[in-house]
Amino acid sequence: MNDAARTKLDSRHWFGKTSAGVLLGYTLSLALSGVIAGLTRGGFEGGSGKIQFIMWMVAPLWAGVLGFVFLFRDSRSAWLWLALANVAAFGLLWALK
Amino acid sequence: MKIGSDIVKVYKDVHIWVGIVCGLMLFIAFYAGAITIFEKPLERWATPPSTLSPPPPLEDAEKLLAAVLAAHPQAAQRYSIVVNPVPDQPARVIWSERGARPRQQIEYGASFAADGSLQVEKLRKAQAAQMVDRMHQFVGLPLPDGIARYIMGAVALAYAVALLSGLIVLLPTLVTDVFALRIGKNIKRMWLDAHNALGIFSLPFHLVIALTSVVFAFHDPFYDSQAKALYGGQINWGEHEEAPTGSAPLPASQLLQQANAQLPGFEVYRFGFQRNRDGQLEASIVGLDVRRGARGRTYMQTHLDPFTGTIDTHDLPGHMDGWSESVNAFFALHFGSYGGNPVRWLYVLMGLAGAALFYTGNLLWVESRRRKQRGAATVEQKRSVRVLAVLTVGVALGCVAGLSTSIAAAKWLPSRVDDLMFWHEAIYYVVFFAAVGWALLRGAARSAGELLWLCALTTLLIPLSSLAGVWGIGGTWNHAGSAAIDLTALAAVPVLLLLARHSRRRMREGRADSVWSADMLPTVHATAKGALQSAD
Repeated sequence: MNDAARTKLDSRHWFGKTSAGVLLGYTLSLALSGVIAGLTRGGFEGGSGKIQFIMWMVAPLWAGVLGFVFLFRDSRSAWLWLALANVAAFGLLWALK
Repeated sequence: MKIGSDIVKVYKDVHIWVGIVCGLMLFIAFYAGAITIFEKPLERWATPPSTLSPPPPLEDAEKLLAAVLAAHPQAAQRYSIVVNPVPDQPARVIWSERGARPRQQIEYGASFAADGSLQVEKLRKAQAAQMVDRMHQFVGLPLPDGIARYIMGAVALAYAVALLSGLIVLLPTLVTDVFALRIGKNIKRMWLDAHNALGIFSLPFHLVIALTSVVFAFHDPFYDSQAKALYGGQINWGEHEEAPTGSAPLPASQLLQQANAQLPGFEVYRFGFQRNRDGQLEASIVGLDVRRGARGRTYMQTHLDPFTGTIDTHDLPGHMDGWSESVNAFFALHFGSYGGNPVRWLYVLMGLAGAALFYTGNLLWVESRRRKQRGAATVEQKRSVRVLAVLTVGVALGCVAGLSTSIAAAKWLPSRVDDLMFWHEAIYYVVFFAAVGWALLRGAARSAGELLWLCALTTLLIPLSSLAGVWGIGGTWNHAGSAAIDLTALAAVPVLLLLARHSRRRMREGRADSVWSADMLPTVHATAKGALQSAD
């Protein structure tokens, strides 16, 4: 983390970043929870216990994305990168299914 | 750890704004949550004594049930046989009937009078513990459940972000700050140290509470979206098991013997019976194994074959698959429903410490924005600072006084009113909003001491109501063995009085250039009086 080498962050873009974290963060955690389900024992047919566990996974993933979304340079890059991450995660989910 | 100063600045802003918006709701959730840890003893304390004769022995439960079914055939739909009747489950046989409102269940209990005739009583379920739980679950908002639940979820999500951002802000100076508690002239430093120490040492607890609360609020939308994105539109929860068949269920005393043999260490509270849609009898066993975490806060429940007594253990902790065991742990970690009373007391302390975390966070905000006095001229604090100080005092202490008053009312309400929940909530909100109004009127400094007195007095009403119950004054009562509630409330009184004294001293002797000084005028009058003073 070299202060001089990168543009300084500021709080101006809070609304764009927060909304990206809430909306795209939610879809991203949804897709990632599916990836976790697909990669672990039992897949998508793991029974009621696994279905509940996978539902629980959305909360930490969503909170994690929303927490780190403020590290993006501005709103545009937050939306852009999270959209790309969504495409990748849903692609992976589709491949696993 | 080295983190760019700009990153720290951004996360400080995030932390501050989440704190300002959510801190007071979180205070209410944590304070009420600390009380709900002992919801069962509180419910017992608050339940009026039953008018039924002492329950017949468990061996005679079937005789009593037959008498109930003869007189009230509708009881066959859903009834339970209680193994160990207690004040909040005062009858050997209890059944429920649908009430007028949706999902309302009215419970009845039965016993035999001395002459052997059937006695039936509509159970007067206490609502005090449930009222505290509502304030906890819906962060004290007087809104319909559906709306308040989503607001609570949003608050919980923001609170998770606040934890992460607070950690990021603290990390660069963690090594030097973590064990430091610099009590002294620099009040801001002291509050910051206290806030940091509380936050960092209880971080795992707070992360658990925040993330589980997000799930408690949003599990339905989560399932709905996952049904679409993961499971092809519909979640397959597995086959519904066939209802057991047989001619007559085993007597409860035999079911209990079977249960004790199959589940050593599991204390059975009651057996539940109900008719499914096809009219077949289904049974469940409700109880607690204190060695394991309970997903249902105060109990564990699973199916049982009423004709053979065989317990289907796969819904019980210790017998589940790994996924379910983990999910059970998520619930238990939120409720503190593992390890018995020592863990419960620990959760009470953690809950109160959490409330203190939000309180100190707000004080910190107020303190960092203080306009310092230079020279002789009195300084006026910013409006935003005064408002937050007033709200912090009014909301936090209003919540404490409101809950105490409403709990104390539990012993006076049943003989006077029908809709207990309505009255519990009404009393809470009247005291709460009166306290907030008082704080607005009197300013943060004066009202802090006064409202702490109110908190102490209203909390004293709790043991006084039980004392009234000893003599049966005004329809009150006192159950033997319920003294822990009264003693806990009594122990809180001197603590609140000490805080009141401390606030008063700070108001009189503390610095004048602070919202906590008596010279600091109440919000609503400040502008006008400020103008008068400057004219002097």
